[in-house]
Amino acid sequence: MRVVIAEDHVLLRDGMTRLLRDNDIDVVAAAGDGDGLVREVLARRPDLAVVDIRLPPTFHDEGLRAALEVRRRVPGTAVLVVSQYVEPTYAEELLADRGGGIGYLLKDRVMHVADFLEAVRRVAAGGTALDPEVVAQLFSRRRQDGPIARLTPREREVLALMAEGRSNAGIAESLVLTVGAVEKHVQNILSKLDLPQSASDHRRVLAVLAYLQQTED
Amino acid sequence: MELIMRTLADPVTYRRLVYLVSALVLGPVWFTALVTVWSLCLGLAITPFVIPAVIVLAYMTRGFAAVEAELARSLLDVDARAPAGGASEPGFWRWLRGLFGGGFWQAQAYLMLRWVAGFPVALILATVLATGVGLLFAPAWMPFVHGGAHLGFWRPHTFVQSLAVVPAGLVVLPVGVLMAKPLAIPFGPIAAGLLNGEPAPVPAPLAGAGARRRPLHAHQSRRALETHAAADAIVVFALVLIWAVTSRGYFWPVWVALPLAAALGIHAWLVLLAGEPAIVRQFRGSRTLAASAGVGAVVAAYFTAIWAISGHGYFWPVWPILAIAIVLAVELAAVMLTSPRRAEMAERIETLETSRAGAVDAQETELRRIERDLHDGAQARLVALGMSLGMAEQKLSEDPQRAGELLAEARVGAEHALRELRDLARGIHPPVLADRGLEAALASLASSTPLRVGLTVEVAPRPAPAVESAAYFVAAEALANAAKHARAQQVEITVVRAGEALELEVRDDGAGGADPRGSGLRGLRRRVEALDGSLTVTSPPGGPTMIRAALPCG
Repeated sequence: MRVVIAEDHVLLRDGMTRLLRDNDIDVVAAAGDGDGLVREVLARRPDLAVVDIRLPPTFHDEGLRAALEVRRRVPGTAVLVVSQYVEPTYAEELLADRGGGIGYLLKDRVMHVADFLEAVRRVAAGGTALDPEVVAQLFSRRRQDGPIARLTPREREVLALMAEGRSNAGIAESLVLTVGAVEKHVQNILSKLDLPQSASDHRRVLAVLAYLQQTED
Repeated sequence: MELIMRTLADPVTYRRLVYLVSALVLGPVWFTALVTVWSLCLGLAITPFVIPAVIVLAYMTRGFAAVEAELARSLLDVDARAPAGGASEPGFWRWLRGLFGGGFWQAQAYLMLRWVAGFPVALILATVLATGVGLLFAPAWMPFVHGGAHLGFWRPHTFVQSLAVVPAGLVVLPVGVLMAKPLAIPFGPIAAGLLNGEPAPVPAPLAGAGARRRPLHAHQSRRALETHAAADAIVVFALVLIWAVTSRGYFWPVWVALPLAAALGIHAWLVLLAGEPAIVRQFRGSRTLAASAGVGAVVAAYFTAIWAISGHGYFWPVWPILAIAIVLAVELAAVMLTSPRRAEMAERIETLETSRAGAVDAQETELRRIERDLHDGAQARLVALGMSLGMAEQKLSEDPQRAGELLAEARVGAEHALRELRDLARGIHPPVLADRGLEAALASLASSTPLRVGLTVEVAPRPAPAVESAAYFVAAEALANAAKHARAQQVEITVVRAGEALELEVRDDGAGGADPRGSGLRGLRRRVEALDGSLTVTSPPGGPTMIRAALPCG
């Protein structure tokens, strides 16, 4: 797997590079700002771009804009945006093109190396990785007496992991359940929330997120 | 025309006028007093009595010059100072010589100029003003003058005829007033040049208009006044002595004592005003008006006393008293016309002082909270994390399993520290507010609360960061209160630009009863007031609660 990193902070850039290289991921370039990222992606055509949201010169959402620019100019490039904070709005913007291969994680997640690498590989393979914090914020919007209240606690856990973009196998591993049990939970959730069956994990994520984002009646 | 109106409305004009007209009284007073004492000195020149006489001369000059310096400072806006007090050099003769240094001769020259130049100018000005006043009030006196008033070519002697003269008064009086400023021009530099005895007691403040008027220290003015009074007392005492020893006939010393008393009275009043701001406040805060009122009263009393001494008869002092009354009335009107603005300014200054103090307080409290949060939170966690790592390092070879546990602990500690820092940063300034502005930040805020939130934001173009931030935190606090205390279900947040202000309104359907003096709302109020805005909270028991903030954002 070939990766381009955009991160202005030298310590974090070097750390991320080392972490990925140690796990046999080929870091082909590292950029210090948004323009640099777009240039490197155009030149090297990586499988994945790992992008910090705050980049020079504005130190606002420069990285997010660069990521969207990358998606526009080189469709199919997977993008993993990392940040010190998460905003559901930014997740919505990233997922807006419905193309897959999108990740949005807190930088903290790097510390759980195995989970982080799993997310990197999932995103590079066209899947989705949404930070649990984003999902939690989306959940907190829902009124406690809505349809979600009809889910069992276990089903809610499964729904949250679905929203993060995990596959049934991933959910099973995370909750220490069998894949069969997870599939059953997923069926129940989809029918309780009146959501369609989806062929791919990515489509399923979009459906779940769309459900979570819709304004309450 | 506009220039004329502006000059007529300008308090400076009237200060100059008062200065010029004051020569009418002060010029003769200085002249008679100084000539008397100088004659005394010359007459006693070959006797030992000359020494007390010259000492009296020196102190009297200083007293007079102190009055003039005070007048020049307040009426001409120049930096004028009375000659310095006696030099502190040892030895009587040196001390005596010192009395005539430090600007003594310049002060003499100035006092004489007030007579030689000031008096004629004052006379002309007073005549023009008196003519103006006379013409203006013609119907009040012309019909009663036997045979009518002599106006050269015409003798109006009926009420109706006298009415025709009034417009002339309307022209002549302003002309007299307008003459004041140009006529006073030469006197400014003269006063500044000749009354320059004492060096500034305090370092000159910053350059600019304000630097030209430096108040004397109160104790210095008081000492000058005491010296003045003592010199006057000695002169009067000496004259009374001479009168007693000689003829004992007509009590002539009164003619020296009276002007000296008048000058001393003016001096005392000015010193009193400088020392007691409370008195100035009685005159609607106008120092000029206060000074004029005192000087006017003394002058009126002076003329009345002269009338009383000189055998009563026709009460002629009514005319100068009338003139003084008119001048004071005009000044009072000018002060009344300007004082609403003055009061407004005072109120505004008070508001600004309070809000600035509030802002400083709020900032201080906030910084202390951040420091405490960092100290108790992230810092402590990082220390614990470092300890876990150190122990893991130590155990690595002998007990790899324990080392692994310690490393996991360290990682959890790092996660906690990061979360705390993130929350802290969000509390200081939410990143999404900086990145995307108020609407996105409020939407994010709305999405993280279980309440139903209706959001209307129309603020384009983006307001200043401080305004955005204040609006955001007002909304955040209101939402938190609505969810926590008021048990509300639905909240409406409206932010619109109304002219020069950003108006924020948060209305909930909760139980109300919010305390505007609670720490959260108080902090918000200080934050809003620091931006010159206002915060109103209406929260009757039973609800609903409505919090409104208006923030200037020109």
